[in-house]
Amino acid sequence: MSQFGPGGGSDPTLERGLRLLAAGMAAAFSIFLLRLVQLQVVQGEEHLERSQRNSIRTERLTAPRGEIVDRKGRLLATTRPAFHLEVVPSELRDPPRTLAVLARLLGDEPERLRESYGDPRGRARFQPLRLSDDLDFERLARVESHRHALPGVLTEVRPYRQYPHGPLAAHLLGSLGEVSPGQLESERFEDYRPGDVVGKSGVEALLEPFLRGRAGGRNVLVDVAGREVEVLDRVEARPGARVVLALDLDLQRTAEEALAAAAPPEEPVSGAVVALDPRDGGVLAMASLPSYDPNAFSGRIDAALWRQLTSDPMKPLQNRALSGQYPPGSTYKAFVAAAALEEGLRLPKTTVFCPGGFAFGNRTYRCWKRGGHGTVDLRRSLMQSCDVYYYRAGLDLGIDRLAEYAKAFGLGAVTGIGLEGEQPGLVPSSAWKERRFGQEWMPGETVSAAIGQGYNLLTPLQLAVSYAAIANGGHVLRPRLVLEVVEPGGVHVPQPPHEIRRVPVSDENLALVRDGLHAVVDAPGGTGRRAQVPGLAVAGKTGTAQVVRLEKTAGKTGLAIPRPYRDHAWFASFAPAEAPEIVVAVLVEHGGGGGANAAPIAQKVLQRWWDDKNGRPPPAPEEPAVTAARGAG
Amino acid sequence: MTRIERRMAQHYEWWLLGLVCLLLGLGLANLISATHAGSEGLLSPNVIRQLVALGLGAALLVATLLVDYRHLERWGWFVYAGTLLLLASTLVLAPVTRGNQSWLVFGPLRLQPSEFAKLGLVVALARFFHRNPPAEIRRLRDLWRPGLILAGPVGLIVLQRDMGVAVLTLLIGATYLLFVRIPARAWLAVAGTGLAVLAAIWMFGLEPYQKSRILDVLDPARDPLASGYQANQSRIAIGSGGLAGKGWLHGSQTQLRFLPTQHTDFIFSVLAEEWGLLGAAVVLVLYFVVLIWGLFIARGSKDRFGALLAVGIVAILFWPAVVNLAMVVGLGPVIGVPLPFFSYGGSAMMAALAAVGLLLNVSLRRYMF
Repeated sequence: MSQFGPGGGSDPTLERGLRLLAAGMAAAFSIFLLRLVQLQVVQGEEHLERSQRNSIRTERLTAPRGEIVDRKGRLLATTRPAFHLEVVPSELRDPPRTLAVLARLLGDEPERLRESYGDPRGRARFQPLRLSDDLDFERLARVESHRHALPGVLTEVRPYRQYPHGPLAAHLLGSLGEVSPGQLESERFEDYRPGDVVGKSGVEALLEPFLRGRAGGRNVLVDVAGREVEVLDRVEARPGARVVLALDLDLQRTAEEALAAAAPPEEPVSGAVVALDPRDGGVLAMASLPSYDPNAFSGRIDAALWRQLTSDPMKPLQNRALSGQYPPGSTYKAFVAAAALEEGLRLPKTTVFCPGGFAFGNRTYRCWKRGGHGTVDLRRSLMQSCDVYYYRAGLDLGIDRLAEYAKAFGLGAVTGIGLEGEQPGLVPSSAWKERRFGQEWMPGETVSAAIGQGYNLLTPLQLAVSYAAIANGGHVLRPRLVLEVVEPGGVHVPQPPHEIRRVPVSDENLALVRDGLHAVVDAPGGTGRRAQVPGLAVAGKTGTAQVVRLEKTAGKTGLAIPRPYRDHAWFASFAPAEAPEIVVAVLVEHGGGGGANAAPIAQKVLQRWWDDKNGRPPPAPEEPAVTAARGAG
Repeated sequence: MTRIERRMAQHYEWWLLGLVCLLLGLGLANLISATHAGSEGLLSPNVIRQLVALGLGAALLVATLLVDYRHLERWGWFVYAGTLLLLASTLVLAPVTRGNQSWLVFGPLRLQPSEFAKLGLVVALARFFHRNPPAEIRRLRDLWRPGLILAGPVGLIVLQRDMGVAVLTLLIGATYLLFVRIPARAWLAVAGTGLAVLAAIWMFGLEPYQKSRILDVLDPARDPLASGYQANQSRIAIGSGGLAGKGWLHGSQTQLRFLPTQHTDFIFSVLAEEWGLLGAAVVLVLYFVVLIWGLFIARGSKDRFGALLAVGIVAILFWPAVVNLAMVVGLGPVIGVPLPFFSYGGSAMMAALAAVGLLLNVSLRRYMF
């Protein structure tokens, strides 16, 4: 330690290091001083002039949002130019007066404009502020003709979202909205600004990062009157990517129209149709009724419309295909059949006698067919949807084995489609009941569960996914909305086909189930004959989900039952039966029997698909049935 | 005892403290102007918070001054372990705000441990090189232990995703390399390691927007609207200040709020606009004198630990100033690094004052035996 001391310098290494450090500091500070001289003296005049003459206004150039197209490249969402009214606070001569004039020109409430203008203190006064969006031509012209007298008022062209088919596939496409203050706080929305639009639901939200593109902008030198003097720099916006959906526009339209026609015109229809490609999980159609027009959400949402949509008891904003949970009814029998075969509890030729009911415990569980089905084997049990066969099969399996198989088919869990609001459904088991109610599972409940009643719940999308697994040999696939995303730099696939799990049922047993399902549509006496498509082997299963206890509707049938008490109608199907390429699941809320009311909807979708496959063009949507009828007559 | 006290008073670096106080005063006046725009009265909430931080910092300064710095040598490992623990605690306790996780929040109080971690690191490195004299480090492999000491806090700060502070901490630690005696070709390896660390930070640590800020320096026209905009506005503000400036509270660029972060990262452009080249040069010279003074204190220290501690403190004050000034005058990337004594920000202010306290501590004990 003695080498250190007053005066220092006795440690040459330290001495050398300190000199180096001092030299580095001197060099750095000299460079800064020289740079200041350059900026402040050499270029001082220039910079002073810039800062005095005025000011630079930064304008954002919003990127046009990417197009969404169907699998054949047909437009589902695009952008159009829209005119917005903006003001630059620092350039308004007399803000209250200007706002009053603008209100008159726009035919708008002065109060609303004042509110939009808000409190100018504490914000960048040179930045434009949006007062009104999507001006129609008339109002735009009125403002433009008074522009000279309104310094600081701008009309700006901005891209605006447009859905050319209106409500078609609205739930799947989703809608836009202004980015919320909460979102602006989060990292994901780092480069968003207040007032930017963002996908709020559906594909618009799912693919937001691709669709959005990158905003550009320009710095404009403006004079005192707010006129552009010079564009200092400009960065072009990079448009959003083009998104190709697996959706088929024709199938989607057919599905929605067929669903809409499922009730008398005076009654509103609610329900869902999901069509999947069982080979890759591609979502060919996803309809949910009632629907809404997403064009209404492209700009500032009309408050009255919003209130109407959110307070409507029919819940038009809800995507029933994935957030509606319903008892599966007899569509569930296919899973029970597969489980019973795989567990060796049933052979294809094992028969059960159905006298029209099944006595168990101290009550009798009735078959839907009062007279009974007589002797029933596996194929006939599916074909005629015999309840007694499944009561027994369910009891033999027990609730927990049944639940295991149901879950293996993808029930009771979200499918992972990626859209918000997806519900998991419910597959009850003894453990579940213990957890939920703290009660023991009763065997009688197994009886109900085996025909898809009781606690069972699933979504139309889940039903489609699980039937796709029956159709494709046991692969539970994640539904896939997007085929590819096309960016200027190339194409990529954000949602490649993905197998969630493999169903633990052998190929032979699945083939037996498929055979039974084919008989449902094809064989005489099958419950799903209304789904027949000429030339196409269709397989399917009807389902009728009880909404209320039978007593309420005793003695009444069909339309005599008040609608809220009517059963939900289900139909799950696939085709061609031997090598399926499409799966269609249909749910009509309070639609009554599945065979009568849901199967025809699936039939129309399958027919359209079959026609398309055989090169028959769809009827032109502009020329509805009227012309066709006249031609036929 | 009385003898020691008299000596302490005699050799107390009143002048150094005076210079620091002068810088603090100028910084405060400047901050008042920077936050003045659009607010009522001179003392904006930011200024008041800064005054509180100054008060706390002064208390810290006194505390770090009074305890003999040689205790720090003895307790070096505890200081270092505490530093790591504090940094690690943010990963568990700190909320993620704007992409990084470096702030501990206690009700109204927000603390950024990484600012204080620099001090802990310097203590640990000074202790290491005190026991392993730098003059005897002649082989590259002798550097693995100090390298590890440096990697701890830097790694944790990278995990907090606070890239500005991570790079600064790396630079502060690397300053000690000026004192080792490794052969010329070993320097290549050191430089390679440094570049590899920076490349790793670039690839895995930086968000796209942070990368683009750095690319913007190479090509300011790349994104004139985001960081390019800031750099552009900063240049206009500084340049328009001219020789004598527009006067306190009269910088038009400042008062019209062209610069979004003018009270934090771009504080120097406010100074240069309102006080001109003369004012800015005075501040640069003051800085320089304080730093050189620190080096003299290192040179005059009676033990190696004190000397190396002083060097580290000089590095703590030097590197952020260099990185910040380079950014503000448009010679370096826009990374969020505050200017010591000037930028708004409590943790940085308190850590800087604690550092000054330690420097004075080394200085005033140099005649004690």
